[in-house]
Amino acid sequence: MIIQAFLIGGLLLCLLYAIMQRQKSRLLSKAISIVTLTGIYLVLFPEHTNDLAHFMGVGRGADLILYCWLVISIIVSMNLQLQILQLQRLITELAREIALQEPGTGHHRTHAVPAQQVGKPGKQG
Amino acid sequence: MGQKSQAIDLWVVMPALNEGPVIGKVVMAVRALGHNVIVVDDCSGDDTGAKALEAGATVLRHPINLGQGAALQTGIRYALRRGAGSIVTFDADGQHRPEDIRVLLDTQAKTGADVVLGSRFLGHAENLPRLRRMLLQLAIVYTHITSGVKLTDAHNGLRLLTRRAAERIRISQDRMAHASEIIDQIGALGLTAVEVPVTIVYTEYSLRKGQKLGNAFNILIELLVARLNK
Repeated sequence: MIIQAFLIGGLLLCLLYAIMQRQKSRLLSKAISIVTLTGIYLVLFPEHTNDLAHFMGVGRGADLILYCWLVISIIVSMNLQLQILQLQRLITELAREIALQEPGTGHHRTHAVPAQQVGKPGKQG
Repeated sequence: MGQKSQAIDLWVVMPALNEGPVIGKVVMAVRALGHNVIVVDDCSGDDTGAKALEAGATVLRHPINLGQGAALQTGIRYALRRGAGSIVTFDADGQHRPEDIRVLLDTQAKTGADVVLGSRFLGHAENLPRLRRMLLQLAIVYTHITSGVKLTDAHNGLRLLTRRAAERIRISQDRMAHASEIIDQIGALGLTAVEVPVTIVYTEYSLRKGQKLGNAFNILIELLVARLNK
């Protein structure tokens, strides 16, 4: 069926990505590989999803997959949130060091870019 | 003699965003008492930095807007690098009285505390609207529960940190949640803190610039996120 080829193609790309990430994080790479391989298996034998769902106490296989997908996407977005926070900390440190590099003490500094052009400051708070 | 050297190695840190209309006056009033003033210009769109320079402050300018907490940390780091013995944080909008810096210094000398916090509820809060009073009191209860430090005023911008305290406290809350964060760290680091009554003057200008009710919610969210990340 066309949908099977389509899904397996996408999952194989995921698997490729997981293998490429091996050096970065072994654990993450393994986790993605397992999830993707399970996905490929279930795409090939969709009737097994139903059996698995019944075993887990869920009505339909499609529902089970939906729930799993929900949990995975929550984990992924939390992970992204953490990374954004880390980036923010880095940016703060960087901006702070820039500010500390050239303190103004009485005489006007020469700026490469006039302050007004640096960009509109965000709202405080 | 003792008082004089105290005034020299004391640095007053003022985080400022768009305070052009008042910053000059505030800096001059503090400079008149003989204190070093650092204004951290948090990427203001107006002439805050230039006005502060004119008034005799050392001005650090964030290249991008980071928030008041980040500005405080920048000022504190600079003061430490300049060999500050103690650091006073002071709001740039003119709501604090420069005379109260002396009160902080005297209290520190008397008690030997690591941190001296100004409290508007021990002292005077002039023209404090009722809604804001309630909000501040809720903040006190929250801070007491989460940090274990009991205070009468958790969100006063006027504080004195000794060098020892300033070196240990790390403000990572860039935006407005830093006030609670400082109290949290005082509790966690086992620093000693005392409160002194100070007067806050609520002018029309400072009320317009101050915290809005809706911000309390944002602060709560910021603190919760920080807790999850520990």
